[in-house]
Amino acid sequence: MTPFPRKLNSALLPGAALCWLAMLVGAVLRASPELAQQWGTVPDGALLGAHAGMTLFLFLHERNHLSRLRGTEFVALLRRLMMGAGLLAAAGAVVHFAAQALGLIPVASNTVPLNVLYVVNIGVTTFFLARAYNTWRSLVFFRATHTTRQRWYWFELLLGIALVLRLFIPGNALVYLAVPLLGLAILGVYLGSHQQWVAYISRKHRWAAVGLQLMALVVCVLLMVYFLSTQQDTTLVAPFGQRAFLLLMTAFSAFYSFVGLMVTFVTLPTATVFEQKREEILSMQRLAQFIQKGQSEQEVYSLLFDSAVQTVDADAAWLDLHEATANPALSHRIDATTSRRICDLLTDYNIGHIDYLNNDLPNSAGFRALNLPYGSLIVMPLRTSQSHVGTLYLLKHNTQGFDRENLGLLQTFTGQTVVRIENLRLMEESLHNELVKEELKIASLVQESLIPKVLPADSWFEIRWHSQAAREVGGDFYDFLQLSASRIAIIIGDVSGKGTTAAFHVAQLKGIFHTLMLLDQPEKGQPLQPSKFMTMANQALSHCLERSSFITASFYIIDYKERGFAFARAGHCHTLYYNAVTEETFYFQTAGLGLGILRDASYEKRIKNMYYDYNPGDVMVMYTDGIVEARDVNGEEYGEDRLRELLGRTFYLDAEEIKQAIVDDVEQFSHGLPPHDDQTLLIVKFKSTQPEVLA
Amino acid sequence: MKIVQNADSNTLTLGLDGELDASSSVLLDAELTQPDILRHQKVMIDCQKLNYISSAGLGVFISHLQRFQDAGVKLVFFNMQEKVHNVFEILGLDSLMTIVPTQQEAAAL
Repeated sequence: MTPFPRKLNSALLPGAALCWLAMLVGAVLRASPELAQQWGTVPDGALLGAHAGMTLFLFLHERNHLSRLRGTEFVALLRRLMMGAGLLAAAGAVVHFAAQALGLIPVASNTVPLNVLYVVNIGVTTFFLARAYNTWRSLVFFRATHTTRQRWYWFELLLGIALVLRLFIPGNALVYLAVPLLGLAILGVYLGSHQQWVAYISRKHRWAAVGLQLMALVVCVLLMVYFLSTQQDTTLVAPFGQRAFLLLMTAFSAFYSFVGLMVTFVTLPTATVFEQKREEILSMQRLAQFIQKGQSEQEVYSLLFDSAVQTVDADAAWLDLHEATANPALSHRIDATTSRRICDLLTDYNIGHIDYLNNDLPNSAGFRALNLPYGSLIVMPLRTSQSHVGTLYLLKHNTQGFDRENLGLLQTFTGQTVVRIENLRLMEESLHNELVKEELKIASLVQESLIPKVLPADSWFEIRWHSQAAREVGGDFYDFLQLSASRIAIIIGDVSGKGTTAAFHVAQLKGIFHTLMLLDQPEKGQPLQPSKFMTMANQALSHCLERSSFITASFYIIDYKERGFAFARAGHCHTLYYNAVTEETFYFQTAGLGLGILRDASYEKRIKNMYYDYNPGDVMVMYTDGIVEARDVNGEEYGEDRLRELLGRTFYLDAEEIKQAIVDDVEQFSHGLPPHDDQTLLIVKFKSTQPEVLA
Repeated sequence: MKIVQNADSNTLTLGLDGELDASSSVLLDAELTQPDILRHQKVMIDCQKLNYISSAGLGVFISHLQRFQDAGVKLVFFNMQEKVHNVFEILGLDSLMTIVPTQQEAAAL
């Protein structure tokens, strides 16, 4: 239905008032022959038209008026209708009856006052019916479907047709009205059944609603009686047609009030149940909000437990948590022994860990044997996607204490709880991961500080290095130490395993290296022998390496005065060497066992010293297995041969260029795959012109 | 990594198949840790299908070496591929452990 133009709408009430005035004038003229002689009489049609106009205007006004229902304040709506227009209309009818009965208004001589009262009553009643029409519509439309709204519009249309037909059809030719009247009756019954609103009246308002509906019914019946009785009153000059329409509308109002009253009465006993269900839904919403705010698992479990006990009104309850160490079990009016006995019984029946509802415990022999005062039991397990975290048990004294809805509600509760618990755990886990990452970052920085950044300025050889860890911290190690003006110590090593454990051993090795270097005293004729260094390092490491760990290392002392170097290899990769005189590239093939493999004195026999005189232009390549074991996409290893051939082509370059060539070649070989092991490379190139050593 | 066990009266043969890296060496360690293993006179490791051994894998053998010696159980490796043998050699384990070319030689020891 299209919205009514606002200007027309605001003219509706004044229009109705004008029509009413016209009716009043017409009635007075009819009732008083003297005035009629002076002003002329009013035809039936005009009077009927005025009444029809007023009715139409009032109904249209109410029809376009917004619903007066605020939220679910049905009682307030009914009260406004009955205490205003309702009382007014009833009072009018009562005054008329009283005046007639007591003879307060003279009828024989002058019928004008009675007719004026009658017209006033018609006006007030029409106003009341229009307001009632708006009220019923609000109530019918409450939660109504589209179909119901459609039916209401048909009802309005039929009302309109009845109103118009009544104007033109003589009073006794009711047959023409049969169709719209029958339709109105059917629709009236249909619409009268739309009393959904009754279910939403709160308990304390229910009696007020009953009272107001009863009042509406009484007022409507009173008005019907009034119009039926005045129909026979010949002193009233209004035409017959006026009353019929009012009767029709009053009958509908009476019917709607009656049905509403019946519905309210019938639902009175079930109202408490409905109210309880509403409470359950509300407490579920509260719980949902609370649980998501729970900051610890203990808090979340407590919230679940309290809400569950409160909502189903349990007489006894307890919550078993599987990780009971951190969370003391929750219980409500039950001791540990009793709960244990029930649990054992359920386990015997093999129903301890499923959703289970038993409303007739005395019927179970096992339970009867426990001799406990309970009639109903709910078992509700709490399951996350991975594990079963606990079980909730609820008991009631009476049988049939729980229903399916309780079970559904508890499932929702436990579902919410479990989601929150999982979230809390995930949060904790990710926080922990962040911390570990942060710790690793620190470890990586510490390790970085262990590795030498600059070499003491050296005029005999160039040294360059490259190191890349496969993880944040690595197990590769290298270091230098200037022992005296003409002696320098170099160490390269690899701790078995990767990551943090390996990094700790790297730090230990550095300490051992620097401590043992104090033993080098060539001026006293006691230079440190590399094999001695390895033996002592092995001994020191034996106390701190776990049994399955070992370390490989190569250790060199270069002496410029002697133009040679001494070295020992403890299980480490062979050192690659380019001899500038013979122009040969080869690996030093020396025997030597890794550190930490033999942890007794027998180690000493398994490590050898080697001495070599270097030439200007010689190149020494030290590395860890991450270099030669670098793999290509087919899983093929880079290998010692490839490295030797590369040095055979690049020996003439600077140490920096040789290093870069090897790094590039290894990277190209592995096609940019990330290294699966730590890679370290050290290049020593003896300068072509060796400075004179001052004696 | 697969470990195939083959035991007769006094010899246990473990066939290693695949790569012995950090994760698979845990399996091997579990095998070698079993107390029953010390009832044999000899434990032979068939390395024919062992393609790769990491330092973690070596560590497993190293950690059990002393225990086997103390119990008088011989640990013998055979059928070792060259690149795996090279790893044993570089570390110096070839002089510490018994590594022979064939199963017959291993059995004869």
